[in-house]
Amino acid sequence: MSDAYATTDRLVSAESNVYDRGLDATIALSVVGFALGMVTLVGLVPLDAGGSALTGAFATLLAVVVGAVGISGLASYTGVAPITSQRVRGIGIGLVVSAVSLAVLAVALPVTMATLLGVVLLVEALALVAAGATSRAGVVDTEPNMSAGLLAGSVFGAVGLAFGTVIGGALVGFGSPLWAVVALATGAFLLAVTVLPREDVGSTASPALVVATLGLVVVTGVVGVGWQWNPQTLSGGFTGSAVIPVFLLFGTLLSAWSAAKCRAGFGARGREYGAFLVINLNAFLMVAVMATIVLFVTLKGVGYAVHGITVGALTLLVVLSPALVGAVQFARSPAGTSDWNTGVRQLFRVLPLALVGSLGTVLAGVLLTGSTLRYAFTYVVQVNRAGETIDTAITVTPDATVGTLLLIAPALLLAVAFFRAFGSLRSVGTQSARTGSVRQAVPTAILGLVALIGCFLVVGPSPFGLPLGGTLGFAAVVAGTLAAGALAVLPLAGVLASNGSSLAASAQDEAPLFTLGVFGGLGLLTAALVLQPVAAVNPLVGPVNLVPAVALLGAVASLAVAVLTTAARRGSEETITRRLLAEETRLGLVGAAGFTALVGLHVAVTGVSFTVLGVSVANEGSLSWPMVMQAYIPLGLEPGGIMPAIVGTVWLVVGATLFAVPLGLGAAVFLTEYAEQGRFTALVEIATNALWSTPSIVFGLFGAAFLIPRLGGDESLLAGMLVLGFMLLPLVLITSREAIKSVPNEYRDASTALGVTQWETIKSVVLPAAMPGVITGVILGVGRIAGETAPLILVLGSTLNATNAVDVVGGFRFVARPPFVVNDALLTASASLPTQVWAVIAAGVSGSPQMGWATAFILLMVVLTFYAVGITARTYFRRKLDYE
Amino acid sequence: MSDSINTETSTDAQASTGTQASTDGESPGIQTTAGESEERVREEWTQYQFDGAAKLSVEDLNVWYGDDHALKDVSMEIPENSVTALIGPSGCGKSTYLRCLNRMNDRIKAARVDGSVELEGTEIYDSNANLVELRKRIGMVFQSPNPFPKSIRENISYGPRKHGDINKGLLARLFGRDDTEAEAELVERSLKQAALWDEVSDRLDDNALGLSGGQQQRLCIARCLAVDPEVILMDEPASALDPIATSKIEDLVEELSKEYTVVIVTHNMQQAARISDQTAVFLTGGELVEYDDTDKIFENPESQRVEDYITGKFG
Ligand SMILES: Nc1ncnc2c1ncn2[C@@H]1O[C@H](COP(=O)(O)OP(=O)(O)O)[C@@H](O)[C@H]1O
Ligand SMILES: [Mg+2]
Repeated sequence: MSDAYATTDRLVSAESNVYDRGLDATIALSVVGFALGMVTLVGLVPLDAGGSALTGAFATLLAVVVGAVGISGLASYTGVAPITSQRVRGIGIGLVVSAVSLAVLAVALPVTMATLLGVVLLVEALALVAAGATSRAGVVDTEPNMSAGLLAGSVFGAVGLAFGTVIGGALVGFGSPLWAVVALATGAFLLAVTVLPREDVGSTASPALVVATLGLVVVTGVVGVGWQWNPQTLSGGFTGSAVIPVFLLFGTLLSAWSAAKCRAGFGARGREYGAFLVINLNAFLMVAVMATIVLFVTLKGVGYAVHGITVGALTLLVVLSPALVGAVQFARSPAGTSDWNTGVRQLFRVLPLALVGSLGTVLAGVLLTGSTLRYAFTYVVQVNRAGETIDTAITVTPDATVGTLLLIAPALLLAVAFFRAFGSLRSVGTQSARTGSVRQAVPTAILGLVALIGCFLVVGPSPFGLPLGGTLGFAAVVAGTLAAGALAVLPLAGVLASNGSSLAASAQDEAPLFTLGVFGGLGLLTAALVLQPVAAVNPLVGPVNLVPAVALLGAVASLAVAVLTTAARRGSEETITRRLLAEETRLGLVGAAGFTALVGLHVAVTGVSFTVLGVSVANEGSLSWPMVMQAYIPLGLEPGGIMPAIVGTVWLVVGATLFAVPLGLGAAVFLTEYAEQGRFTALVEIATNALWSTPSIVFGLFGAAFLIPRLGGDESLLAGMLVLGFMLLPLVLITSREAIKSVPNEYRDASTALGVTQWETIKSVVLPAAMPGVITGVILGVGRIAGETAPLILVLGSTLNATNAVDVVGGFRFVARPPFVVNDALLTASASLPTQVWAVIAAGVSGSPQMGWATAFILLMVVLTFYAVGITARTYFRRKLDYE
Repeated sequence: MSDSINTETSTDAQASTGTQASTDGESPGIQTTAGESEERVREEWTQYQFDGAAKLSVEDLNVWYGDDHALKDVSMEIPENSVTALIGPSGCGKSTYLRCLNRMNDRIKAARVDGSVELEGTEIYDSNANLVELRKRIGMVFQSPNPFPKSIRENISYGPRKHGDINKGLLARLFGRDDTEAEAELVERSLKQAALWDEVSDRLDDNALGLSGGQQQRLCIARCLAVDPEVILMDEPASALDPIATSKIEDLVEELSKEYTVVIVTHNMQQAARISDQTAVFLTGGELVEYDDTDKIFENPESQRVEDYITGKFG
């Protein structure tokens, strides 16, 4: 490094001095002020808070800051996460100093929040002036340019114009044109102050002036909390409680920018640091706005929304199981090998497991001791403009009943996950002729059962009065179930009965039984299970239902096999053996999860609950969440359920997506891969863009006037789905086209050169590579349509406070005439969340405003859930394309 | 129309004559690169005699891109189980010619092909030609490595899987009839043939984009070999690679020529001299100027222009 560089280095960044520290503190104070601006804007802390409320607020702030800085400092000091940047250290110290000073002021002086905020602005302004003067006087070494530049000048000129307008209006009134003179003069003054002097004065003096003005106005109470300004030309007005936080946000942003320029010594580096800070605070503002919206809606609605949640501990345990598996997987991932971070990473890796484990233990404790966990709280409901406090609680009971849906979903998820992880067990172990013939017979048996299901579906269980279902169907169900049971225990029996030298050897020898047992058993049992309701039979063995009993047997046997192979794996050394045993463990887990799902499925299709050892699986589970699961509206203060609206919204989104995605994607494939690029494709592009910009109410009108007469004449769920689908279509088309276009041509060339046809190429290379882009489009589109209100008011029927949900799945009926499948549920009116919110809050239709807020909260959750699903899918496809 | 081709500036006195000769599209003079001397192509220069059967015979092949006549009356026979090198300055139509051999030009909308190409006596430009079968028999490796964004294993088995030779679908897996073993064998055989096995055998399930450039190119060769072709077309396969990776590819090409007919485009004359059995020289304007034994072309070419090109007078 040359001497010149060494010198600059020491002057500006290496050696800390009062100038640098002071400016770091100024930046830190701006950050604190910015945060306070947002907190007061949202109303978390009122602006007129004083005394203990104010002290409390600043105590909290102090705790947050000291905690954050303290942890980071500790991490840095111990070398866990070293912080070397002087600037970051300075800002850290500055944060603590600012928080302490503010807290001391809040305790010592009899002031309100608003005054304190004004003081923050004044201090900032003073610091800026001091920094500019120090630099100008040459006390510190800086590299200012000739001028702060025209861009900064025009920004401050515009600010001056706005200030001048307000000041002029206040002094001489808007009646005479004199106010314009004042405005212009102020603007020109600030422009001149910014542009004319050297950069260190220009870019500190004007922000200092602006910030000081804002601060003074607030401190002197010219704009106080109760201040109000209602310009005659505006129907609305400005209040102090909204204006002061905005002053603060603006002022702190400005002083952060200016202080950052000073801190980096002006010039190119100063601009860099200034821009960096402003951009970061802006990005922070984005996140904060999002967080604020979610937080605000949550605060308003969550109390009402979670009123009276009661859930059985076992149900929670079942729901927790995928998280447990995920946590185990996470903990098993390699922790890296290098020095200090190995330990930290290992800790980090087991953390989720520890968390889920402790939760699980608590739940198991609830279950075993029969005690109840209860978290009681209150919330306020507005009734005739008076607040009424409602007591409620969230309760975990030792109830050992599990609802079918909450059993099937996690079990199926796990089964699929384990199956995906499973590779292959072919050519492992000894193939015997007998297993070979059984292997051949299983698909035939499954096909036979499926054929029977088909027959009974078409002709009913007792055609022409013949009790075929009760006899033939019954026999088939029993035979299939017993065979499935035999298959399911095959792996376990095989391993135990095998005379291999060790457990590992036996397991390896009997590998063919694993695939046969698990896949054959699952397939056969599923077919038998579906045959039951179709043939209207439900075989019993004594008091127990046959099918779920066998499924349970299968689950237990598979789990036992998984445990056995894991144990064998611990004792074996060879990599190959270990790998094979791991495959067998996965297969065992597939069986365990799959058969468990079948227990749930049995209860779901037959409606008969299944109980064993005090644990029962039933259609009515032990989860009770009145707001989400019930469908009534309160007359008193009890919260009403909005289940029909949730179901309606979910079906609308699902239906619209099912309609729009295949169509949009198909059109995109045609337009980009097949169609000749030219006038026609350009025309389609213009049309799609126009369709995307079409206001939603127009879609609604189209649906009401065109679709509804053709769909039975009444407002209906189907019409809603189609209208939302039409709205989604253009976005899916546009994003899919872009995604397909951005797939490199090399992939297509490579595939074509291998002799693969165009369609196969699109399917196997182009679409997978385009998938993340396509999903991004669907995510954006779903976000738009899920909350769409206007068209739904016109076409959905928008039943308010509905008492029952549309039963789309149950609505399907098979008929012997075309169109063969009909669904009346799709043609009925439905409720939906956005229309419900609109009706309750905007139109004031029944229910308290809290009901509306709670509905909005749930709508937000539903949309975020769709969002999460989309992001997970996109991550999955991206991972497949990436090479990390 | 040929001004755009004259991008090379040369101090050679012949530069101006070459340019003048080619500015007049109607004149019988030929287009030349700056620095090229003028001469007429003689038919016998391209009549290469060899023992054994011809794998591919090309007759009067012409290609136009719109109005641009990119390949003019090319006729040549390519012998079986040998390496044929195509050399020439850039833009002279080597890639165009190569793409004609497996009908990849069909994918270029502007391209029009006229003439005949026969694979073992069967016309591939027949309207009933089965493109799938054709491209299975004539594989291609591109200039820049272009593996699919899939695992190494999937890259290799992609072709056979799409052709239905390997079945690994969900149903096949459930009923235990999948071809996992066959696939494993195929992957191993192809990667060994492409001299890549030792480097990737323990990470077959990793994404192919994580390989180095040279490894990716050998993967592409392995992918091409996996569909069991008879002819392999390579378009400057080593031009994007470093010297070590290049020498690996060169060794590989020599190895492959024992079993396959290899046609390789290269920009690098030493490379052509090292690895090929016969060499075809294309010169500006899309003409095949000379085609003969590699030794003959490099030691004693008939054409003055070819000699100038080989000795580096222009290029
Ligand atoms: N896809 C295409 N569309 C239009 N012209 C093309 C295309 N590909 C090649 N050409 C033209 O054909 C001529 C020969 O190109 P090419 O075969 O790529 O040469 P080489 O491979 O010898 O460098 C060039 O003039 C080039 O501009
Ligand atoms: Mg080329």
